[in-house]
Amino acid sequence: MSSMTDSARPLLRAAGLSKYFPLESGILAGWRGAQAAVKAVESVSLDVYAGQTLAIVGESGSGKSTLGRLLLRLIQPSAGHVQYKGENIFAMNRAQLRAFRRQAQIILQDPYASLNPRMRVGHIIREPLDIYREGSKAEREKRVRALLERVGLTSAQARAYPAELSGGQRQRVCIAAALALSPEIVIADEPTSSLDVSVQAQTLNLLSDLQRDFNLTYVFITHDLGVVQHFSDRVAVMYLGKIVEEAPTDALFAAPQHPYTQVLFSAIPRPDPSRRVNWELPKGEPPSPLDPPSGCHFHPRCPQVLTACSSTVPRLLETAPGRRVACLLHEDEEN
Amino acid sequence: MSLLSVQNLTTEFLSGGRWLEAVSDVSFDLQRGEILGLVGESGCGKSTIAYSVMRLLASNARISAGEVWLEDLNLTKASEDALQDLRGSRLSMIFQDPMTALDSLFTVGHQVIETLQEHLGLNLAAAQERALDLLRQVGIPAAEERLGAYPYQFSGGMSQRIALAIAISCHPQVLIADEPTTALDVTIQAQILHLIRRLLVEEQGSGVLLITHDLGVVAQVCDRVAVMYAGKIVECGDVESIFSNPLHPYTQALFKSLPSQGIARGALENIQGLVPGLADRPTGCQFHPRCIHARALCRERTPPLRNAADGQEVACVLYD
Repeated sequence: MSSMTDSARPLLRAAGLSKYFPLESGILAGWRGAQAAVKAVESVSLDVYAGQTLAIVGESGSGKSTLGRLLLRLIQPSAGHVQYKGENIFAMNRAQLRAFRRQAQIILQDPYASLNPRMRVGHIIREPLDIYREGSKAEREKRVRALLERVGLTSAQARAYPAELSGGQRQRVCIAAALALSPEIVIADEPTSSLDVSVQAQTLNLLSDLQRDFNLTYVFITHDLGVVQHFSDRVAVMYLGKIVEEAPTDALFAAPQHPYTQVLFSAIPRPDPSRRVNWELPKGEPPSPLDPPSGCHFHPRCPQVLTACSSTVPRLLETAPGRRVACLLHEDEEN
Repeated sequence: MSLLSVQNLTTEFLSGGRWLEAVSDVSFDLQRGEILGLVGESGCGKSTIAYSVMRLLASNARISAGEVWLEDLNLTKASEDALQDLRGSRLSMIFQDPMTALDSLFTVGHQVIETLQEHLGLNLAAAQERALDLLRQVGIPAAEERLGAYPYQFSGGMSQRIALAIAISCHPQVLIADEPTTALDVTIQAQILHLIRRLLVEEQGSGVLLITHDLGVVAQVCDRVAVMYAGKIVECGDVESIFSNPLHPYTQALFKSLPSQGIARGALENIQGLVPGLADRPTGCQFHPRCIHARALCRERTPPLRNAADGQEVACVLYD
């Protein structure tokens, strides 16, 4: 994206990235033939810039978590590639991948599910250091204590088991473990969704301090637009496997362009009773990713649908510097 | 007379041989045609209030003091038979996970029809007719075909619509909705909340007790709100008053910790410390160890909920 004033090259770049999950077993396989597949992610291209936060938003089934896993090569793509500092991560050999893995970490939604209940907190945080043979045993222990304190826990809590901690404290343990190897990029998949608001605030503040201190790059996968607006520099909005809109956060919130983004924003209950929304009801439910609508996937629910929308797949086109929208309404403007 | 009146309710849980208070001396009224929000963070006792009202507490829990009145009927004294009749008819409940309310072994049609026959005494044909009507009202497409479908064949949003259809099928006077949209996407959440308001509150004048942790939901759909902290209501009043002028230090802190729209990036204010567990709740005001305004007095005195401003009650010594 040459129009970015920040001329830095993207740290992470996805191009034409797709992930189809085939339906291999059961009656559906025979009935639908070999092509039956859930198109979880479909030709996604996006750039993540160093030191910035990119938010990926969308509802369940939009493919945002699958995209997050692709960006870390936790799963293999069906098509496309991801470049980290110019290197295709799917073409990396074992040594390169090992180096990539220490620089790219993930934090998940449910801190309890991502912590081994039989391991003490100190061991959990030390494990990445052990795997990468960082320093001596004493140095690793020292690093664990420093990390615990950095995320707002006490070094005594190294002896605790995850079950002895609150949800917020467990998420801090996950953050400490993710930071143990001083990564450059952290993908956070709904990191605060299971936390109460006051604990969420503590966690977001911590993530924000860490970003500043270590110049971290975040990809924040979330459905919470309050968090997005507060936390991110840029936003990509996904619907049924595709990016429908991408923009700098402030610009997106000031004027969402894609009808889906508009519907999504209008459905968010804002904590302000003086601005009650006369809910323009979002029509219908998200369709099944097994059998997505033709043309623009959003057209059956779109309040501004055109005749062409059921047959034409809109392209993700730049409408302003740093802004892209996939909607026929905006393609017209463009041409 | 209020539709539902909760008076000095205390509910305890048995833990390690001791009875611990999950809800302490809570009082509030729910009026006809009103949505009252009950908000608070995990463990504050808001769901326990719901289960106490429904008399659906687990065997390790008991109502140790207080009363709950549905109009002129004392629910805390009602027999199990009487309660069985009330639940699903005058008093209804929906849950966060709609599958809690649906039986996976029966078609949804069967479940809606069963409720109608049980409580309204309709014959099969009339019940089928009404069931179809209900499914259409809650926005199930191709309702006629879907009557024969099983719960697993529905999405989360569709299942919650069916749970709602069952909950409203007998025109309940009171609906208790415990985080009804927490597991749903925002576009579906908007649809369900809209249905609750239109079908129950506006068309039937029922009262809804909406339990949620989402202040956005409260602002958008509730008329009044009660804010809970560690088993007590700390503030209660009109949604407009409380959102424009929160009085209790906990409510104030809660609002400030919201990453809200329109506020520049920067550190969110947060509340120091943790919500106390049931076994280690402090003396005096429950919030005092985390309160920036705490005084010596707060450790000793439990402030009662009292009128502080028009349409607003608060439990804090700052307003004595």
